[in-house]
Amino acid sequence: MRFHVVKRDNWPLWKRALAYLAAVVAALVIGAVILLAIGVDPLDYYYQLFTMGTVGNKIAYKTYMNYIKEFLPLAITSVALSLAFKMRFWNIGGEGQFIMGSISAGYIALKFGASLPVWLTLVLMCVVAMLVAGIYGLIAGFLKVKFGTNETLMTLMMNYIALYVLYFIGETKADWNLFLQETSSRPVFVNFSDTVAFPTIKIGAKFELNICFILALIIGIIIFIYLKHTKQGYEVSVIGDSAGTAKYAGMKVNRIVLRTVFLSASLIGLAAAFKVGTAGVLSTAITDDVGWTGIIVAWLAQLNTGMIFIVAALICVLQHGSTVAAATYAQVDSSFANMLQGIILFLVLAADFFIRFRIVRVKKGE
Amino acid sequence: MKKFIALFLAALMLLSFAACGDTDTDTSDAASTGESSSAEKAEFKVGAIYINSKNDTAGYTFAHHSGITSAMKQLGLNVDTQLFIVDEVPEDPEQVRAAVDTLVGKGVNIIFGISFGYIDALEAAAKEYPDVIFSHATGYKSNETNFNNYFGRAYQARYLAGIAAGLKSLQTGNNNIGYVAAYGTEYAETASGINGFALGVQAVNPNATVYVKKLNAWADEVNESAFAKELISSYNCGIITQHCDSAQPQIAAQDANIFGCGYNSDMTADAPKAHLTAAIWHWDVYYKTAMEAAMSCGTADKFVSTMGTPAYYGGLKENFVDVSPLSENCAPNTDTAIKAVRELIISGEWDVFSGVKLTITAEGTVTKADAALVDNAGNEIVAAGGASVADGVITGTMNYYVAGVVEA
Repeated sequence: MRFHVVKRDNWPLWKRALAYLAAVVAALVIGAVILLAIGVDPLDYYYQLFTMGTVGNKIAYKTYMNYIKEFLPLAITSVALSLAFKMRFWNIGGEGQFIMGSISAGYIALKFGASLPVWLTLVLMCVVAMLVAGIYGLIAGFLKVKFGTNETLMTLMMNYIALYVLYFIGETKADWNLFLQETSSRPVFVNFSDTVAFPTIKIGAKFELNICFILALIIGIIIFIYLKHTKQGYEVSVIGDSAGTAKYAGMKVNRIVLRTVFLSASLIGLAAAFKVGTAGVLSTAITDDVGWTGIIVAWLAQLNTGMIFIVAALICVLQHGSTVAAATYAQVDSSFANMLQGIILFLVLAADFFIRFRIVRVKKGE
Repeated sequence: MKKFIALFLAALMLLSFAACGDTDTDTSDAASTGESSSAEKAEFKVGAIYINSKNDTAGYTFAHHSGITSAMKQLGLNVDTQLFIVDEVPEDPEQVRAAVDTLVGKGVNIIFGISFGYIDALEAAAKEYPDVIFSHATGYKSNETNFNNYFGRAYQARYLAGIAAGLKSLQTGNNNIGYVAAYGTEYAETASGINGFALGVQAVNPNATVYVKKLNAWADEVNESAFAKELISSYNCGIITQHCDSAQPQIAAQDANIFGCGYNSDMTADAPKAHLTAAIWHWDVYYKTAMEAAMSCGTADKFVSTMGTPAYYGGLKENFVDVSPLSENCAPNTDTAIKAVRELIISGEWDVFSGVKLTITAEGTVTKADAALVDNAGNEIVAAGGASVADGVITGTMNYYVAGVVEA
C-alpha cells in the first residue's frame, strides 16, 4: 500500500479554526494523561492554569498586572520577528537583540535618569535601544547580503555574544560599570525604578495599566498597515515569495533586506526598552526567553499580525498559569508549561499540514 | 474529521472519570491528615521560591527542598497541602516579584527565597506585604519586622573536612590538594570555604598546599570534572575537594585512584573508593526554627524579634552544618581528631579564623597555640592570640586566601 500527499482545496475558515482547536485540545489531553500519570488532577490543574489562579485570590489584580508584563515584550518581539520571517530572513537572534536593547536602555536610564526629565529619559531609552538592537541585527543582515552567510547561524551565535556581554556586565565590579550597586560586596544590578519608569494608568482601586500596553497595540496596528497596505510591506512579501522575482521586478533586494532586518531588530530593541523601563532594573534573565518563544508565537500565528497578539496572549496564559498551577502541586514543576507548549506547537503544525494537504491511498494498478 | 472528534470526546470522557476518582482519594487524604494536626497548624502555609526545579535529585535546590519538606514533616505540617513552590525562578527582580505575588495570592504565611540574587526583590516585597514573612538564604538584607536572612558557618564544617584531608595527605605522603571552586576571592562564601578547609589541612600537615581552580559558575558539570582532572594531572594532587554542585570532582578522583572530600551532600555513594567525608548542610534545622517562630509569633511583624536576630547564622553548634559520616577511606585517628575539634568549636572555646592555631598530630591529639592568621600575600589578618574575625567578614568581605592557598 502506498500513500500520496495531495494539495487540498482551500478549506473554509471554520473548518481550519476547528482543526487548530482540535490540535490544542489534543495537546491538552496528552498533557492531562501525563498529569494523571504523576498523580495530579488534570481538571483542577487546568482550571488553575486557565484562570491563572485568580479565582478566590485577594490580589488577583497583581496577577493581571504580572500577566501584562509578560505579554508585552513577547507580543512586540513576535511581531518584530514576523517582519523578518515574512521575508524568509530567519532571525533567530531575538534574544541577542533584546539583550543589546536592554543594556543600552539601562545605560541611558542610569546615566541620564537623575538629570533629565523622566519623559525625555524614556524617549531616549527607546530611541537608543532601537538603534543599538537594530544595528546588532543589521550585522547578520549585512553579512548575508555581502557574503551570503547563513543568517540563522549568524543570528543564533550572536545571541550568545550578547548574553555573555550581559553576564560580564553583571559580574564585573569596576569603576566604569555603573550597572552594579557599589555598596554590595556581591554583584547586584542597580535598581532605578524610583527615578525612571513608564507611567501607568490607574483602573479601578488597585489595577494599574502600563502605558506600554497602549503603545504596543498602536505598534501592532502600524505594523499591520505597513505589511498590508504599503509599498515597502509589499516588497517584503514579494522577496519572501521569491527573491528572484523581486529582482526582475526591479526591486533593490539587498536594500530591502537590510531595511527590514533593521526594522525587525529595532522593534525588538523597543520591546527591551519597554521591559527595562517597566522593571527599572536589569538582570541576566531580562529576556524571559521572548526571543525564543517569539519564534513559536510568530509561527503559530502564521505571521499574521493580529493573530500574533492573540497567540502571544494565549501562550502567556499558558506560561503564567502553569507557574500558578505548578505552585500547588509538588509533582509538577514550572517546566511543564514548556512541554505543553512544545506539544501544542507540534500538533498545530500537524494540523497546519492536514489543512493544506490530504493523504490519499494509491490503489494497486493505478 | 468526525472520527477524530469522536476520539477526542471519548478520551476526554475517560479522563474525566479517572480525574473524578483521583479527586476522591485526594480529599480523603487531606481529611485524615487534617485530623492529626491542630487547627492553627492546619491553617499555616509555607511558600518557597527556588532557582532550579523542585524535582531535582541533587544539588542546591534539592538540599533546600529536602530541608523544607523535612522540617514540615517534623512539625506535623502537610507537605502536599500546606507547601506552595514557584520554582525555576531566575535572579530577575520582575520574575521574583511575580513569584511572590503568586505565593501571596495562595495565602502563604512565610516565603523562603533560596538564591542570593532575589535580595532586592524580597526586600521590596517585604515592604509591600507586611503581613507575610520573608526569609532569604545567603543574603545580607533584613528589616526589624518581617524580613530576615539566613546562612550557615560552612567554614567550620570545611575545617573538619580539611582535617580528614590533611591526615590522608600525611598517610599518602602527597602534599598537593586540589580544590574545584565555583568562585574564589570574588565571593566571601567561596573564599571562607577555601580558607576554612586550608586551615584544617594545615593544622595536620603544615607542608600541604591547596590549589584552587575556579569555574566562574556555581554549577558547570563538564568543567567540574575537567578541572578536577587537570588538578590531578598538572598539579599532581592526591586529594580533590570542591565547592560546586555535582559529584563530578569526586568521580574524577576515584578514576585517578586518589581521594576526595565532597560538598553539600554525602558523596561516598558517588565515589566509594575515593570519598573521605563531605562538608554538609542540615537546612531543616533552620527551616524548622523559622517555621516554629512564624507559627508562634502571632503577626508577621514580630517574626524577626521572635527569631532574636535579623540574620540567622548557625554552625556546628546548632547542627546546621557538619561533616558526613567518615568513610573507610579515611586515615586512622581521623574520627578522634574531628571529634576533639568539633568539641572546641561547639563549646565556643575556639573558632577557625582566629589568632589561635590548632596543631593536630597523626595520632589525633589536638593542641592550641597562639599564631597570627596570615593571608597568602603575607599580610596579617588576625594578630597572634586575637579573637576570630567578625561574622560580617566571613559572610561579606573576605576577599583573600590564607597562607598555603594557591590559585591554579
